[in-house]
Amino acid sequence: MNRNWWPRSLYARLALILFAGLAAAQGLSVALTFTERDQATTNLMMGYVEREVASSVALLDLLPAAERPAWLPRLARRSYRFILGPGETVGAMPDEKLSAQIAHSIEQGIGRSYPLSVNGLGNEGRMQVHLRLTDGSPLTIDVQPMRGVPLSPWLPYMLAAQLAILAACCWFAVRQAVRPLRVLAEAADALGPDLRPVELPERGPSEVLRSARAFNAMQKRIAAYVDERVRILAAISHDLQTPITRMRLRVDMMDDDAQQPRLRADLEELQGLVKDGIGYARAMHGEREPARAIDLDAQLDSLVLDYRDSGSAVNLEGRIGAPVHTRPKALRRIVGNLVDNALRYGGGADIVAGRDRQGAVLIRVLDNGPGIPAGQLEAVFEPFFRLEASRNRDTGGTGLGLAIARQLAGSLGGTLTLHNRPEGGLEARLTLP
Amino acid sequence: MNESDHVLVVDDDRGIRELVGAYLEKQGLRVTLAANGREMRNALMHATPDLILLDIMMPGEDGFTLCRELRAGKHRAVPIVMLTARDDETDRVVGLELGADDYVPKPFAVRELLARIRAVLRRTRMLPPNLQVTEAAKLIAFGDWRLDTVGRHLLDADGVEVAMSGAEYRLLRVFLDHPQRVLSRDQLMGLTHGNDAEFFDRSIDLLVSRLRQRLGDGAREPRYIKTLRNEGYVFSAEVTILEGRTT
Repeated sequence: MNRNWWPRSLYARLALILFAGLAAAQGLSVALTFTERDQATTNLMMGYVEREVASSVALLDLLPAAERPAWLPRLARRSYRFILGPGETVGAMPDEKLSAQIAHSIEQGIGRSYPLSVNGLGNEGRMQVHLRLTDGSPLTIDVQPMRGVPLSPWLPYMLAAQLAILAACCWFAVRQAVRPLRVLAEAADALGPDLRPVELPERGPSEVLRSARAFNAMQKRIAAYVDERVRILAAISHDLQTPITRMRLRVDMMDDDAQQPRLRADLEELQGLVKDGIGYARAMHGEREPARAIDLDAQLDSLVLDYRDSGSAVNLEGRIGAPVHTRPKALRRIVGNLVDNALRYGGGADIVAGRDRQGAVLIRVLDNGPGIPAGQLEAVFEPFFRLEASRNRDTGGTGLGLAIARQLAGSLGGTLTLHNRPEGGLEARLTLP
Repeated sequence: MNESDHVLVVDDDRGIRELVGAYLEKQGLRVTLAANGREMRNALMHATPDLILLDIMMPGEDGFTLCRELRAGKHRAVPIVMLTARDDETDRVVGLELGADDYVPKPFAVRELLARIRAVLRRTRMLPPNLQVTEAAKLIAFGDWRLDTVGRHLLDADGVEVAMSGAEYRLLRVFLDHPQRVLSRDQLMGLTHGNDAEFFDRSIDLLVSRLRQRLGDGAREPRYIKTLRNEGYVFSAEVTILEGRTT
């Protein structure tokens, strides 16, 4: 069944149903009123015609023939008048129901004393009733039946106004009903990757109030679970720092030249894991630095210089050219993690800054490493995810760098994706709003 | 540097305390160990150290409390290097506000710690008494720029944050501490890089030119850093401390 006409939104559906129903009901009641009124008027008119015509005919009958014409205008009514004479006798009995009824009631009123004949004239229900008075002179009653009572000119406007009020009420009522749903959806959307709860206002009708409370409670539960998980990670990472510091000191002071560098390397790996653990916990926890206007070119340039000063092959191309409103430490961390990855797996990193076609800031970090199998380009963003073959544990990653970077990119309102370059190597693409 | 420099190490973790102490002694420093505030006060009654190494995270009285107490008392002139388990900006802010002179995140390499200790000792001694030390300042103004020492970035006239590399930042701090004074390449190298002798003479020139570029300063008519042929460099702009304590 083709249901293209059926609107997709609940708002439109409810409004349509309500409005259609109410408008139909309103239409019916208007129709009913008119029919009722029509009938009442007709009945009234019949009784009136029966009595009035009978008495007028009786009066004319009594009057001397010379005085009759003077009385005619006084006896005429809106729907009929008297003519002294035979009138027009050609024509069949009018077939309109109203005319038939009138003829019938005239017959009822005077037919017994004055035998009469009826014939229609024209096609608007006009007819003439012919009879003879007692002195033998012909009398014609020319009847032009009135069709109900004429409509007042303001009636259509009244109806339009009623329909408008109905439409407004429908719109308002449906909005009332649907708005909480929209607010709820917005709040659920706002519960972004940082899981910072957005409290729904707990007010409104009871159903809405209940939903808002349930939603808020659910948010708090989710936040509490995530919070707990993150706190455990942070606590473990944090508590590891003291023993690592001790080990670090012991290694630094040992005289075994063969073992010392290896132990130091092990400790550095452990330290990196702890640092990333805390970093991930913080990124998840949404520890918020305020956003401010920064010179993104200087930010990237200084980052690159720091890498170069420590002997890494990192290059920067391109400029953004205008200050950007963002959170500098989060941004530095994202780019830093991407560069670290590029250095780890590709031996060097090229940062290319610029803008994409929509004008958004686009920072690309390119390496010449082995890339990532196409099916796992998304999976590597999972915390602690490791690729089996090409990028293994020996290279020293913690498995958190990309997870942190994506978390932070999301919290900046940006996106972070990975792509294999056609010429080989990996490209990380960071877009900022 | 003075062979008999005396360092007071305050850390609740016995292992760290003793290992650091042993290392510093091996490097020719005199060391006193304290596990908490009480032991620290005890030690201070017997001798005034040249530097206090203070751990932030300690049960009972933490490093911040002790730092505040030291800065308020008669040992206010003793430089303090804070040890922290968190490489966290809030710690650095609080530490700076309380008057710590440097800040070393755990875990650290002992050589790094020693370098920081020596740098702080040298800084507090090398400077002529009439010069301002901006170490504890949070915001320093010069020319069109302001330097935020907490975030370690510049702010331009419009308040836009301009990041600096670590080396540029250290060099600028040296200049800001010695305005209107001729600094030789050797002096700049010593003050900027500590004991690392891996830097060549020319690398200071390169660093100065990078810093000039960052500040939008031309080499022909520099507003901030002037070159004196065969002598070195002079930071020629007026330096004002906007926020934070002056020593």
